[in-house]
Amino acid sequence: MMYPVLENKNMSAGCYRLALDISADSRLPLPGQFYNIRCGETKDPLLRRPFSMHRLIKTKGSMRLEILYRVVGKGTEWLSRRKKAQRLDAIGPLGNGFLVPEGVQDVAMVARGIGIAPLYALGEALRTKNLEVNIHVLMGARYADRVFYEEELKKLGEVYLYTDDGSVGYHGRAPQLLLHLLESNRLPRGLDLYACGPIPMLKELAQIAERFTCPGQVALETHMGCGFGACLSCAIPLKAEAIQDREPWQKPALQWSDDGSTVYSLICKDGPVYDILEVDWDEWLA
Amino acid sequence: MNGSPDLSVQIGGLQLKNPVMPASGTFGYGEEYTDFLDLSRLGAVIVKTITLKPRTGSYPHRSTEVASGFLASIGLQNVGVEHFLREKLPYFDGIDVPLIVNIGGQSVEEYVALATIMNAQRRVNALELNISCPNVSKGGMHFGIDPEVTRELVTRVRAVTEKTVIVKLTPMVSDIRLFAEVCQEAGADSLSLINAPLGMSVDVKTRRSKLGRNMKGGLTGPAIKPLALYLVHQVSKSVDIPVIGIGGISSPEDALEFFIVGASAVQVGTWNFINPRITIEIIQGLHEYLSEHKIRAFRELVGTLL
Repeated sequence: MMYPVLENKNMSAGCYRLALDISADSRLPLPGQFYNIRCGETKDPLLRRPFSMHRLIKTKGSMRLEILYRVVGKGTEWLSRRKKAQRLDAIGPLGNGFLVPEGVQDVAMVARGIGIAPLYALGEALRTKNLEVNIHVLMGARYADRVFYEEELKKLGEVYLYTDDGSVGYHGRAPQLLLHLLESNRLPRGLDLYACGPIPMLKELAQIAERFTCPGQVALETHMGCGFGACLSCAIPLKAEAIQDREPWQKPALQWSDDGSTVYSLICKDGPVYDILEVDWDEWLA
Repeated sequence: MNGSPDLSVQIGGLQLKNPVMPASGTFGYGEEYTDFLDLSRLGAVIVKTITLKPRTGSYPHRSTEVASGFLASIGLQNVGVEHFLREKLPYFDGIDVPLIVNIGGQSVEEYVALATIMNAQRRVNALELNISCPNVSKGGMHFGIDPEVTRELVTRVRAVTEKTVIVKLTPMVSDIRLFAEVCQEAGADSLSLINAPLGMSVDVKTRRSKLGRNMKGGLTGPAIKPLALYLVHQVSKSVDIPVIGIGGISSPEDALEFFIVGASAVQVGTWNFINPRITIEIIQGLHEYLSEHKIRAFRELVGTLL
């Protein structure tokens, strides 16, 4: 589908927010789902690039999809130069989104950098479901200039900033900050955890989720060839004993080994959202 | 000129309504593309490589993008033949399109077993042999880089099936014409080429392969088209059986280049990921080209390089 660009705004150093008019599309994205967007008109860059839904804003007679992205290469650089009224070729919505639970009291959303993009969509959905929910947003990056979106995040809930070098907020990484908040009882044990960011961060968060019995979901990212389950290049290992199928999302692309000991899953079809305990982080990072 | 141009072509026992099909490994089991196109409009459908047992495939970090190319190590992930026959093949009942099943094995016996199973399937119209698989009995060396192993493989598969047999050739050999001739002598009905040449890409910060533990991967996409055209030209001059051109096709013009150097049909691979409707658009583009140039049948173009 071709979608008109409504806006493509520079938010901070290298970060942009793209708005597309998806009013003509009958399918609406849910938090955690993504669009695979053609980022060029030539053969280099070649493949589409996946971007998660950041916000969906319904106004009278129109539907505005927002995508938050950071310029990291040729594709996103091209994307950053798109102007209002130009049209973009996007396939979506794709993949499995977040499960948005009923009746949760406290939620921690843990992001690093651009990982905040899909979590924001989830935060808005949680707020719509339950006005009383306490949303704690842990947001950070390597250094202060890379931390962005603080004002927008304050609309969701309480914001805790962190940086690796201590230039703003907590001096340390996201898992250390979460641990600190849980151990000092500033966050309740057993709260719902949602995270998006680098794989090593997610692996550490999984260990914390297990220790403090926090239910958790993660939105994952990797290189994709197609985005719709044909190329099999976005496969990751899951823990065979931990796999969950929870309505409304199913996992149609699991590939089990003959003896049932190993299972691979396609992020584009079975994900990008997984239960935090499902993913075999060690095998993925090996 | 009266009527629309004739795009039909005969590949072994297969009568194709047009010469455009997807390449194995880029089209899943066919059903992945039903949101995008009507499979019955294709010349044929080729499903991804099927092995005797299910395979989980390569380690993670299976793919990366290189200049105008896609580098990927999928490691023949597939559901295995039993599941394929039970869950995937019935999908094609009622879809009027020739179905080509690509098969792979770790020994000659595995290929023979798969060919025997497929020969009994009425819905399977042809086999494509992926001979770029590691041969366990020869220390993992690929079948398709040894002419005598290739001869034995094709001869023994030929002996157990009446279906059309297409052999998919690897470009990673010193003289591909030798392999083409061996396959023809051993009874292959057609040759498809090229399978993906191997490549690497390195992250200079970590000094690790961008494909992680897989180290290397198959290079596909527009980057390999000139190599593929050259090898199709060489092979089509050295054998009499029809050649199916594969490698970096992304437009009707690309497909025409392959026909002109000698291909009787084409397979479209990586571009399906970028534009899942590309096969249909190529078929439409061929119609337009032939009408515009007043060429009655596309076959008149094949091998007409001046």
